[in-house]
Amino acid sequence: MSSRLCLIVDDSRIIRKVSRRIVEALGFDVDEAADGAEALTFCTGAMPDVILLDWNMPVMDGLTFLRRLRTLPDGGRPKVLFCTIETAVDRITEALAAGADDYVMKPFDGEILHAKFAEVGAV
Amino acid sequence: MSPEDFDRLQALVATRTGNRLRRDRLNLAEHRLGPVARRAGFDSVDVMLAALWSKPVASLAWEIIESLLNGETWFRRDRAAFRTMTEELLPALSQARQGRTLKIWSAGCSTGQEAWSLAMAALDLKLDVEVLGSDLNRIALEKAYQGAYTGFEIQRGLSAATMVRWFQPQGELWTAADPLKRVVRFERANLVDLSATEPDDRFDVIFCRNVLTGMEPAARALVLEGLERRLVDDGCLFLGADESLNGDSLAFRPVSGRRGLHVKSPTFLQRAA
Repeated sequence: MSSRLCLIVDDSRIIRKVSRRIVEALGFDVDEAADGAEALTFCTGAMPDVILLDWNMPVMDGLTFLRRLRTLPDGGRPKVLFCTIETAVDRITEALAAGADDYVMKPFDGEILHAKFAEVGAV
Repeated sequence: MSPEDFDRLQALVATRTGNRLRRDRLNLAEHRLGPVARRAGFDSVDVMLAALWSKPVASLAWEIIESLLNGETWFRRDRAAFRTMTEELLPALSQARQGRTLKIWSAGCSTGQEAWSLAMAALDLKLDVEVLGSDLNRIALEKAYQGAYTGFEIQRGLSAATMVRWFQPQGELWTAADPLKRVVRFERANLVDLSATEPDDRFDVIFCRNVLTGMEPAARALVLEGLERRLVDDGCLFLGADESLNGDSLAFRPVSGRRGLHVKSPTFLQRAA
């Protein structure tokens, strides 16, 4: 079975690096994008199985990316987990309504991400 | 802490709680006793232990014991058990009980995540439910009762949708909402002391997971006997996913294909009748 692909979308290189280490340990191949536009280009080429998505990013934010992703062919397939510093209930609700499968509040750790991947059926 | 101190602690914990304090936990034990010594006004762990051995004070002994028990837990721990519970047991039980309130016990609940998880599962199915969470550790129990968890704790096992449905942000913490709090209560209980009293009230389902693992065989038998008396005859007992009875008790038998799930054994029911 070919290994599964996770795209990490975050403008912080440190966050991408930390997330990558956790996600690789869960058995995924990982690619990175620094903003929503970059991520969208990536997805039109190769649709990932899971996307970790930051909210506030330059060029294109996470919510805009998510809405566009869901209109792409096969764009409904990736499990999308918002990973953001936003912890307000209405932001969480907004993200879920826009088509996110789950929502992770920063800071998070490996155990949380593992549990969230299990919750959306990615592991 | 000297090896002699550790031996005496080991004996103390075993007699009072049935728990086996492993020798490789010596450093951890010393680390956990630090705050207990500070709270009780001792200069060091060694001074506290010397005082305890020379003049045993029950309250201090219990504080020490409670700090040494392992309390790590999280929401919806072992998802397979929760799936069995929500998809099979709860619907079947609610039908069998014909509208009577379902009683569920989280025995050894530590900081309460299991009790809240069970309540959420039942309320999601619109069931009339009462959940009891019990533990020996009063500090863990106080946290359980507050129902307030950090971002790390609340996200470990709960989806964001479930989190915002049942918990409210209060400052840095996420606190159980009133409809949830209304159906859950917490009380202190020592599972090895259960058989001493007759239950006035029995439970439909008992979760007692990852509690027996740390116990001496004789204590495990005692706990299972106590749980049996507090479970209705057609009720269910969940042990941890990796726990088995190992001949500790004839009161229960495992249900095949459902890891952790146990029911009362027919032989035992006949004997009891």
